[in-house]
Amino acid sequence: MAFLLRRLAFYLAAFIAAATINFFLPRLMPGDPVRIMFSSAGTELPPESLQALKLTFGFVDGPLWQQYLTYLGSIFTGDLGRSIKYFPLPVTSVLGHALVWTVGLMGTATIISFALGTFLGIVAAWRRGSKFDVIVSIGAIFATSVPAVVTSLIVLFFFGFTLGWFPNGYAADPSLDPAFSFQYVGSVAYHGILPMITLCTVLAGGFTVTMRNNMINLLGEDYIVMARAKGLSDRHVMLWYAARNALLPTVSSLAIAIGTILGGSLVTEVVYNYPGLGNILYQAILARDYPVIQGQLLIMTATMLIANFIVDVSYVLLDPRLKGA
Amino acid sequence: MKSLLRNRKALIGLAIIAFIVIVAIAAPLLTHYDPTARTGRPHQPPSAEHILGTTRIGQDVFARMIYGARTSLAVGFGACLLITAVGTALGIISGYRGGKTDEVISFFTNMVLVVPNLPLLLVLAAFIGQASPLVIALILGGTSWAWGARVTRAETLSVKQKDYVKSAEMMGEPQWRIMTFEIFPNVISIVGINFIGSVIFAIITEATLEFLGLGDPRVVSWGTMLYNAQKASALSVGAWWDILTPCFALAFLGIGMSLLNFAVDEIANPRLRTGNHLKRWSLLIRSGEGRL
Amino acid sequence: MNQPLLSVKNLTIDYIGEENDFRAVDNVSFDVAPGEVFGLAGESGCGKSTIAFAISRLHKPPALIRKDSQILLAGRDVLDLDSKALAAFRWREVAMVFQSAMNSLNPVLRIEDQFYDVLRTHKGMTKAEARERTAEMLRLVDIAPDRMRNYPHQFSGGMRQRIVIAICLALDPKLVVMDEPTTALDVVVQREILQRINELRKQFGFSVLFITHDLGLMVQFCDRIGIMLQGKLVEQNEAEAIYKTPQHEYTRKLWASFPSLHGGVLL
Repeated sequence: MAFLLRRLAFYLAAFIAAATINFFLPRLMPGDPVRIMFSSAGTELPPESLQALKLTFGFVDGPLWQQYLTYLGSIFTGDLGRSIKYFPLPVTSVLGHALVWTVGLMGTATIISFALGTFLGIVAAWRRGSKFDVIVSIGAIFATSVPAVVTSLIVLFFFGFTLGWFPNGYAADPSLDPAFSFQYVGSVAYHGILPMITLCTVLAGGFTVTMRNNMINLLGEDYIVMARAKGLSDRHVMLWYAARNALLPTVSSLAIAIGTILGGSLVTEVVYNYPGLGNILYQAILARDYPVIQGQLLIMTATMLIANFIVDVSYVLLDPRLKGA
Repeated sequence: MKSLLRNRKALIGLAIIAFIVIVAIAAPLLTHYDPTARTGRPHQPPSAEHILGTTRIGQDVFARMIYGARTSLAVGFGACLLITAVGTALGIISGYRGGKTDEVISFFTNMVLVVPNLPLLLVLAAFIGQASPLVIALILGGTSWAWGARVTRAETLSVKQKDYVKSAEMMGEPQWRIMTFEIFPNVISIVGINFIGSVIFAIITEATLEFLGLGDPRVVSWGTMLYNAQKASALSVGAWWDILTPCFALAFLGIGMSLLNFAVDEIANPRLRTGNHLKRWSLLIRSGEGRL
Repeated sequence: MNQPLLSVKNLTIDYIGEENDFRAVDNVSFDVAPGEVFGLAGESGCGKSTIAFAISRLHKPPALIRKDSQILLAGRDVLDLDSKALAAFRWREVAMVFQSAMNSLNPVLRIEDQFYDVLRTHKGMTKAEARERTAEMLRLVDIAPDRMRNYPHQFSGGMRQRIVIAICLALDPKLVVMDEPTTALDVVVQREILQRINELRKQFGFSVLFITHDLGLMVQFCDRIGIMLQGKLVEQNEAEAIYKTPQHEYTRKLWASFPSLHGGVLL
């Protein structure tokens, strides 16, 4: 419990750090920070709106610390300003929609590739030195070493364009209206296959190698030898003694990998024109829509922190040595 | 070092990297085309004149690929040096000195670790505008050292307990000397692993940033090749050579570096080896000379 | 002796390297009678643990047991058993207590589960039956049965070692191999555990192969002792003889290096 509370406090601090980065960036760039932040607005923005935006981002009269507190205040009351590109939409709603798509894609891909990668890693470690091990290890190396951007493009090229088996972009057929209908959900699934394949390829390799290495590192432990000496079946020892223990460091490496997963999913979204946070960020950067860009950093950081926290909770559930703590 | 050369993965990896480096250096010898000049008609498929075809504005793709190697490699190694230097220094300092220094540095490190890397880089690059490769290298160096710092710190903690460190302390050697001459040489394997991993990371991230439009599109690098091809809708138009060339170049380099990385991992931890170090043993078993 | 329980004949074990081999055990032969405590003494790396592992065939590549070796338990050559027979043989006929039981117990499973898996695999017991048997075994080693739902980290080192011993005896084996079972514990706990093992041995009649580097301890606890040096068995005799009239140069050297703290009564 104390462990989880400490983690929460840490995450809060990290979130504030991200906000602090947001606060200082425009002020550290050469030139007038207000001009930089709202440069893309041009002359289209009515003066009251501009004033409101300035207030949100802490561009008020007063010393720096007052500006900082104003900005923090905005964030913690849920006011991330309004998007300039999609004016007058608030940043939160622009990002909110995209968040759903990203969490869907990223979440599902993480679960599938974690399950797949871990399974392959377990078997490869148990059958060390066999052909299976060699193929899986080399395959995993290949999968992780090719950058996400490259994998997405190649998958899109072969399966989307050349073979034409799957659509070339978007989350669903653009002519359909979003609804909880079979047609729409089906279309979502169909459009999601290529990005999912890409992300899973990129991620599964890493989990495979991690799990395999963790398993191998503990195969010499006394409790494994005792398990074998007990005459338990190979499979039982592999699952309940080896894998169950190797899972712990693998889950904690999942926490660290979430940043990479987010990055990879970002790139994949751009390539596939998937309407998630990554794509929104990309568009915002092109349009220099700074309120959205800054809002992005906060939302993505928050997502990372929440995901990390979920992993922390899983770790506590998995390791009996922490349960009492 | 010797075991590195005996490891098959390492050899293949090193061969790939060496090949790319040599090609990059020998660029003017391999092509007479200027990579930025319009030397052909737009989007020509590969032909005798242009081995890998031309881009949307008529530049020779092959030339761009081999000159682009220079930029990608330079940024990769440059950023990586920065990342490794900062990470190692902070890791050793916080690991060795412990106490308040350690707390502060570790807290800071964990914070940097937990803020998502790519989004942070994107935001930074967005504010900076069109980032030249040098700027990209600097940003990468400044934000990506955290993992190396953490791992180096862990290694430092275990080396700190060793006898030769304790005796140096007792002889009154100043801290900076101990850290440089006793601790550093003994964490070098971690630093090496860190270094190789960082190069991969730097090259990939640079390419990704440029692909997303944050680099300077006039520069010739694999990342900007991807960006320009994407903007020219190379995929939809069918100009596969335009976009797949940098893809395969990056994949090839990535694989080479990864193989080297895994080989170094295996040497540091011999239990992780795959392959046939059990050949003699298998022979003996099969011939009935013994059993398990 | 008539029909020994364990008969090791010409046991030779090599570790096969990429170029050279290392001979860990060199043509070792000895017998252990039913109900006897046989000790194997020697410094680290002399091959005694290698022998212990070989009895249950726990070795992994690159270890190799040379072809003329034999390990007979109640007349059956363990080295000839197929995998099914081997699985049935393990723990039922021979059980093992490892060095530092700190790590012998699976940290993520409850104690009752670590009894249950072996009781179910070998005897097909249900959870309820297993719980009864577990309680019985825990009482034998002075551990409160209501603690069986705890995890290993909730017990002290000495208690964990006793739990391991309890698991060892759960299937009533004929031979218990103990590889440095008390080295990591303090001397008081050490004595208590060894006394308890002795009582259980008299009660259930199993033999013990006791492996340690502590010759003084061994002489009090064992009936017969074998001295190992660099893979070879250099001397073998009754405990008292080893103590009073050591024959081999190395045995004498071992005694010379011991300050005598063990002035205690023979068990």
